[in-house]
Amino acid sequence: MKKYWREGEPMVWATGAALTLTLMIAATLIIVVMVNGLGVFWPKNLTLVTLKSGSRVLGEVVQREATASGEGERLQFKIGNRDLYGLDFRWVDEADFEKTELPEAAMVLERQEYGNFYGMLQSVSAPGFEASSSQALEQLMEQVAIKKQGLEEFTEKINDLNRRTSKLEHQKQILFHDDPQKNQDAIAALDRQVEALRGEFEHLVNRQTEAAVELHHYTATFSDVNGTQKTMQATEIVRYYQPNTMNVFEKGLLYLARVVELFIDDPRESNTEGGLFPAIFGTVMLIFLMSLFSFPLGVIAAVYLREYAKDGTAVRLVRIAVNNLAGIPSIVYGIFGLGFFVYGIGSGIDQIFFPERLPTPTFGTGGILWASLTLALLTVPVVIVATEEALGAIPTGIREGSLALGSTKFQALVRILLPMASPGIMTGLILAMARAAGEVAPLMITGVVKLAPALPLDGTFPFLHLDRKFMHLGFHIYDIAFQSPNVEAAKPMVYVTTLLLVLIVLLMSSVAIHLRNKMKKRYTYGTF
Amino acid sequence: MDKKVLRRIKLRDRIARWVITIGGMSIIASVILILLLIGNVTLPLFQEPAAVPLAEIDLGKSPKQPEPLAIDIDEYLENAVVFSAASAFEFYATGTGALIDTIPVAPPKTPTAIPIRVTVDAPLTFSVQWNDGSLSVEQIRFLPQFDADGKRTFGRQVLRKGSFDPPPEGIPLQSLTRMESDRQVRVDLLADNRLKVTQVIVESDIFGNEEQTEHVSFLANVNSAISALTLDHHGLALYAGTADGSLLHWDLAEAGSPKLLSHVSALNSNHRITAMAMILGDISLVVGDDQGRLSTWFPVRVEKGASEKRLTRIHQLAAHDSAITAITPSRRDKSLASLDAHGSIHLDHMTSERHLITLENPQPLTRISLAPRGNGLIGLDAEGRLQLWSISNPHPEISLKTLFGKVWYESYDAPALVWQSSSGSDDFEPKLSLTPLIFGTLKGTFYAMIFAIPIALYGAIYISQFGSSRMRQWIKPGVEVMAAIPSVVIGFLAALWFAPKLEKAVPALFLAIVFIPLALVLGILLWQWLRRYQPLKTVERGYEFIAIAPVLLLAIAASITLGPLVEQWFFAGDFKLWLFNDAGTRYDPRNCIVIAFALGFAVIPIIFTIAEDSLSNVPSSLKAASLALGASRWQTVWRVILPSALPGIFAGIMIGLGRAIGETMIVLMATGNTPIIDPSIFNGMRPLSSNIAVEIPEAPFGGTLYRVLFLSSVILFVLTFALNTVAEVVRQRLRKKYGRF
Repeated sequence: MKKYWREGEPMVWATGAALTLTLMIAATLIIVVMVNGLGVFWPKNLTLVTLKSGSRVLGEVVQREATASGEGERLQFKIGNRDLYGLDFRWVDEADFEKTELPEAAMVLERQEYGNFYGMLQSVSAPGFEASSSQALEQLMEQVAIKKQGLEEFTEKINDLNRRTSKLEHQKQILFHDDPQKNQDAIAALDRQVEALRGEFEHLVNRQTEAAVELHHYTATFSDVNGTQKTMQATEIVRYYQPNTMNVFEKGLLYLARVVELFIDDPRESNTEGGLFPAIFGTVMLIFLMSLFSFPLGVIAAVYLREYAKDGTAVRLVRIAVNNLAGIPSIVYGIFGLGFFVYGIGSGIDQIFFPERLPTPTFGTGGILWASLTLALLTVPVVIVATEEALGAIPTGIREGSLALGSTKFQALVRILLPMASPGIMTGLILAMARAAGEVAPLMITGVVKLAPALPLDGTFPFLHLDRKFMHLGFHIYDIAFQSPNVEAAKPMVYVTTLLLVLIVLLMSSVAIHLRNKMKKRYTYGTF
Repeated sequence: MDKKVLRRIKLRDRIARWVITIGGMSIIASVILILLLIGNVTLPLFQEPAAVPLAEIDLGKSPKQPEPLAIDIDEYLENAVVFSAASAFEFYATGTGALIDTIPVAPPKTPTAIPIRVTVDAPLTFSVQWNDGSLSVEQIRFLPQFDADGKRTFGRQVLRKGSFDPPPEGIPLQSLTRMESDRQVRVDLLADNRLKVTQVIVESDIFGNEEQTEHVSFLANVNSAISALTLDHHGLALYAGTADGSLLHWDLAEAGSPKLLSHVSALNSNHRITAMAMILGDISLVVGDDQGRLSTWFPVRVEKGASEKRLTRIHQLAAHDSAITAITPSRRDKSLASLDAHGSIHLDHMTSERHLITLENPQPLTRISLAPRGNGLIGLDAEGRLQLWSISNPHPEISLKTLFGKVWYESYDAPALVWQSSSGSDDFEPKLSLTPLIFGTLKGTFYAMIFAIPIALYGAIYISQFGSSRMRQWIKPGVEVMAAIPSVVIGFLAALWFAPKLEKAVPALFLAIVFIPLALVLGILLWQWLRRYQPLKTVERGYEFIAIAPVLLLAIAASITLGPLVEQWFFAGDFKLWLFNDAGTRYDPRNCIVIAFALGFAVIPIIFTIAEDSLSNVPSSLKAASLALGASRWQTVWRVILPSALPGIFAGIMIGLGRAIGETMIVLMATGNTPIIDPSIFNGMRPLSSNIAVEIPEAPFGGTLYRVLFLSSVILFVLTFALNTVAEVVRQRLRKKYGRF
């Protein structure tokens, strides 16, 4: 026993405990994200509770905990119906329960506004049509879906007109900036064109309004659990279902449908509901642009350092500096991006190329180009270090062999060394991308926004709009978790976004690290 | 081979060499330029202000004519205004020096009265004292107009804001007046050293009918001759300075009954107070005496908690050589210009106590005025010439003292370290002390490192030395992947998942700190008994960490269950209340415990990976030799391996420290972001990094706040750069020692 202590065996256990603790914290993090994120889309049953006071509560049970007095438990219900109650959640003491049931008729409505509605269908009304069955609701929704398509066509046409008008306005701005006197005729001509477009625009808007007004007649009336009637237009309803009648398979289908919606839909209700498409798109595009810059720059710098620069103090210093840069706080890069790219280069571009729009900035404000350049700077050291390591791991024999066969240095580089180092370079790139995907702080000051009106890539000339602001998954988390008015109701969406981001980042870095380890083995065991 | 092909290959090689060399060098250079560029933005903060003579205008007066009574300048520095002794406004174009316009001013009462004294109380607003004792306030309006060529011209207009009839007590020695929409105030210094206060209160009912009531009161209890007088900009406070160096402060807010708030001896020796003025914001009073000393004052609580306030000297500004004759506060910030009897001008800033510029003119100046935007100064010299300077003085409020030292801000009871960059009003005194932010950074980093270093190091020791190699293959990359978890995710979970849970279970956390080691000891004792069974002993070949997991889980579960009980017994059922009442500390939901866990979690993988690398790269011959000599596995690690890997571990800690200092999102989300200096673990802080993220969207480009935020990023850069460089040098040395890793 004494020997056991003297040998320090308990210390070994202590170190083991430290490792366990680390793993446990990591596991907790992943589990919390998984549990909260994966469950969000699963349709939960609607519980109807009759209280002893006679009032009734209908909603999803969110959590239960011991009451403050320590006797019994209390349950938190998501009661929805924000437009009726003002609150989404309600705590009820279990002691007050009179009766608990799962009514089959209880229906969940996902709506464009005010979050979910929980209640019972009362009646369905359409022009020349009046019913109160859920089949009728189904028919109604089908009809509305068809009509809505027509409406969307109008919207598209109107958007197109808008774009054309703003293009003309821009041309006018250019002419006006150039010389209002000389270009008088051209400006007048443009004015006439704008006027014509405006007429067309008004016509379209009128027709769209007509169609929309017609849709207003398609309504459904629901009642909440205490009998309050609420008539809703069918267009407001995104989805409806009766969870208490659904089996696991049906619920699974609904779950999938919601996941698909997450990936392809736009957000609703100030980002707390709906999809994540613009944020996912923005993140992917940001990473892609970032790679376009940081990959070639990083590789060239690394090739120079490893293959061309003469080894000496200078190179050593540079290497220290590069390694160092990987440790500079990201917010410092952000500040640099703001000061140098946005206010420096961006304003310069505006002065030269877009003087007619000033003082409204085009490039002189945050945008996806500046954000990706900033991220590229941030990740260049990662690529440099990885590429250097990969090049350094190639045995000198291969280099010398290639040169001895008469190749030039460039040929050796392009034909032998870079292909051999490519897994390492790829690793660096993927690590850089993973880092870029998770970075938020520098983006916050170089162009990320809560809600971008348009994607940076779309069908209008010049297709790629590098000056546009964009949405980002990481910022989305920060924004809806901390800036939204109703944090409690926003939480499910935050967890889903978090889950998505964590999955993306973990997947990318696991692949990178796996690749790297494989490569390490190849060179360390294969060559000696 | 074909010569052409050879030549082409060679050419390509040469081109590639150049491209790569130039490219590589420029990339590295440009990356290193970052610091220089950020630094460059902050440099103007410390630039010395400069004044450039812009124009000299000869008023064309013969020496016999009396000199003008007042001068001023418009905000564009294009029109100089002179109130001449002949009772007229004269307008001079500063560009050409020509007289453009003259607008005569009629006396309000006696048609033959002539002006005897004129003061400029607000931009282009002149209080005129006439020799019959009447007073009037004249305001000049410039109406910028653009003609067909786009050139700017000005329409000029003189408006009378109001006037007072001569007092029955005779012609006063000095008079002050303020004309507001709801009140008109007149203060006269009478020949018998009494002060007469006349207040006209204008009340209008909902129908727009105005009713005026006049209140007159006399202030007589002044022992020594009053030598300087000033009113604040709204006529609500009156200050007087006496010939024996006393300062008096009356509150005029209640019409008809002025209250003497303080009567203090301003200067220890009895020197005459010669000039006074109110700094922008109407809180601080500038006092100048006949020795050329300049100080600012405002009322401060006599003692803590007391309601009585007394005028107290706050800032001592750079002294002049001779008596101060006039003080002109800036209308834009807390700076002021002062003129002395020798005719030289000082420009000082109150908060930073910085002496900005001394302006000397060959001919001593007799009157001065600051331009409305603070970018120009106009003076009248003894020869009757106007001198105009343009002043470039972008950041007068910044000095090393205001950035890092304690400063006595307006309305504070004592000098303090405060960060408060903006407020609703324009006359706000920005408080830009970086010390609370640096403190916040260090505090958060400190608690995070206390949590992270032991866990990361012990974990690294275990996995590199004791863990089975099969496990290691999985855990090492696993921890590396952990490093990639975005900080925004960690911050979100810390703030919205962990913090509310912790808030309910603080005692449980303290219990866990006791229970976990205790459980460990018990577990080891239990193991003594278990390890006798042969199959279980294989755990000691690198699977201890799995065997210990249930013990730890049990300990954590026990502390969570017992937590509420402990809270009941020791803290009367509510820990937070107990903390507030008995320990005097407030419990913030987002506090340093949360930060320690969250930031610690972000740093652990970094320290872990680097430490593990350096530990496993210690040559195995050392380990083998030590074990062969009979040392136990822990002895080998503690005495042999750890010392040789120490530089690498040190490097890991440094790099982890650098990450913790610069981490932004976690602290932004999981702290309250309150810039306080309080080492308590139960409240939050605001570190440099999140301060930048919070404030930069509101900082106007090129403004002081913008540059100060750049300065704080330079500080972050330098801090992390230093830490990383130390780490990198150590690692390179280690690399040389052990070949490669």
